[in-house]
Amino acid sequence: MPKVVELSWTKVGWRNLRRNPKRTLITAGGLAAGYFAVVFMGGWTGGIKEELIENATSLVGGQLEVHHSNYLPDKNFYDTIGGRGGVDVLEILETVDADPAVLMSAPRVYAGGLISSGESTSAAMLVGIDIQREIRVSRFLDQLILGRVADTGSAELMLGAEAARQLEVEVGEEVVLVAQGADGSLASGLLTLVGVFDTGLPELDSGMAVMPISDLQDLIVLPKSRIHEIAVAAQNPADADATARRLEAALAGFVGDISVSPWTELHPVVVDYVALSDSMNWIIVAIVFTVAVFGVANTMVLATVERRREFAVMLAIGATPRSVAGAVVAESLTIGLASLVIGSLVTFPLMIWWHAAPPSLDWLYGNTTMAGVLISPKLRIAFEVPLWILSAVVLLLTTIVAAAYPAISAARISPADTLSGP
Amino acid sequence: MRRVSAVLRAFLTLLAVPASAAAQVDPVAIIDAVDRLYRGESSHAVATMEVVTENWERKLSLEVWSLGTEYMLARILFPRKEAGTATLRAENNIWNYLPKVDRTIKIPSSMMGGSWMGSHFTNDDLVKRSRLSVDYEIDIAGETSDPDGTSYWNFSLLPKPDATVVWGHIEYRVRQQDLMPIEARFFDERGTLARTMEFGDFTEFDGQLLPGTLHMRPSDKPVEHTIVRYEKLDFDVDVSRSFFSRRNLKKAR
Repeated sequence: MPKVVELSWTKVGWRNLRRNPKRTLITAGGLAAGYFAVVFMGGWTGGIKEELIENATSLVGGQLEVHHSNYLPDKNFYDTIGGRGGVDVLEILETVDADPAVLMSAPRVYAGGLISSGESTSAAMLVGIDIQREIRVSRFLDQLILGRVADTGSAELMLGAEAARQLEVEVGEEVVLVAQGADGSLASGLLTLVGVFDTGLPELDSGMAVMPISDLQDLIVLPKSRIHEIAVAAQNPADADATARRLEAALAGFVGDISVSPWTELHPVVVDYVALSDSMNWIIVAIVFTVAVFGVANTMVLATVERRREFAVMLAIGATPRSVAGAVVAESLTIGLASLVIGSLVTFPLMIWWHAAPPSLDWLYGNTTMAGVLISPKLRIAFEVPLWILSAVVLLLTTIVAAAYPAISAARISPADTLSGP
Repeated sequence: MRRVSAVLRAFLTLLAVPASAAAQVDPVAIIDAVDRLYRGESSHAVATMEVVTENWERKLSLEVWSLGTEYMLARILFPRKEAGTATLRAENNIWNYLPKVDRTIKIPSSMMGGSWMGSHFTNDDLVKRSRLSVDYEIDIAGETSDPDGTSYWNFSLLPKPDATVVWGHIEYRVRQQDLMPIEARFFDERGTLARTMEFGDFTEFDGQLLPGTLHMRPSDKPVEHTIVRYEKLDFDVDVSRSFFSRRNLKKAR
């Protein structure tokens, strides 16, 4: 019997919401907007996080990079993998590729030099790559904005868009390359520009010249067995640290002084940003729902004060104070559920749409870099499912907390005083 | 009057040697007098440059022409692989001619601190040389003497407030008896010794006494150095301003 009565009071609470549907809808709408804000902000920072990791691990740099242990941080030209004697490049690449987490590895040679065209000369970082391997490790050559990739042995090179603009050189034209040879001689070459890339990273687009690795080695008199770096593409960025340790152990077997750096070491700022954005989500949830508590509490206080006589009657005819409080809480919780329905109906279609087709934000900001990692001006949304669930739970808790004071007030109403009064 | 090699001036960042054997103790006057003396003078030299680094050693043979303080042309004679490679300095610009690709490139101002031909001299050393007395406050820091009685002046060169120079300060040691430079020490902005140049083999070239060797040592790499040795040096040679052209940079004389 008491159970049936309590269920009825809950029903009374739910029905009471329809007494003032406008007020209920406005409150629920406010909560729904809060839910949207939290899920949207979390999705956006998650999207930036995803893009940062992607660009740090596959735009130009690898998810892992193998160097001589003295090579970084100064990029010492003579500290090639395996030292002065060099290394069997094919063998070391195959060893790296044999790791289960590794998708592909690519060798690289770096040298400082000058590029000149007509009256213009600028300093450049000359990068020698194995084209076939490189396009499976990094993305910057995937979409050349002009021309094609360079062929080995044909005196061809590719330049960043900004470098090509500064040098006033077009695809098909020749440029002069000058660099210090490994033997100290002044090395020079005449190369044809065949392709222009655009990474979005200003320092690379204005100062990087890319050519086949053996062509660069020939130019700077560096034996074919000497390379500076192996860039590695691997499966899950989250496993990079473990993969690095495994590779280091595998390579230590036949080449000394080797160091394998995961992206987390190469781009510590990105790691910091990921940690920061995760804690930011908590802060946003806390702020939005703290504000919401007061909004919902305001509604519930109004809704209970105007019904003092009704609660007094309920108590007079045998309802327990607890069931009266339960009715108020149920009422508030119902607003929360309604707001979740409204919020989800608005939020998820938008999230799915923006996830599938990220809107451009270039009217707001251009290409941005964070510690040398590109962020493109796109509203990229990540599906942060734990955040969706967390904020739904917090939203419902908000409505319960907001109902606490009005519920207690309603339960403490004295039926005799209230009903005898005016 | 004693003249000093215009080649030296065009070539390296050095103290210019005073014109008079009379002990001119006002260092600024000495530098200024030297600056005036060199105007319009010309020279022709053959020198070898030996560069030793941690990773390689090389020896170059060079032919150098100069006119006043503003014009200089240096061409590599040996080794054969690099023969014909040439540098032209005209006023504040430097061009390099690369015979292998038959092209001339202008060295951008951002690369002026870069090494010249792989040596421990910078492109800047070729250009800024004539401006010592303009860019620096020059004072006598003291006098020293060897047990054998040879006396030296130590000059201290501090950049003037508005001068755009690469060194925090420079110290020169000059022999009093004949005003020959002995040593120059270059300090960075934090006061750390960056490189030291020693002068030696004082020899008469075309009737005048000059340091026959210049020995540059960077402080951070003790095993590295560059030595320039003059083999032949003539003054008042027949070169005009038109000789120092980009067209002439390409062809051997």
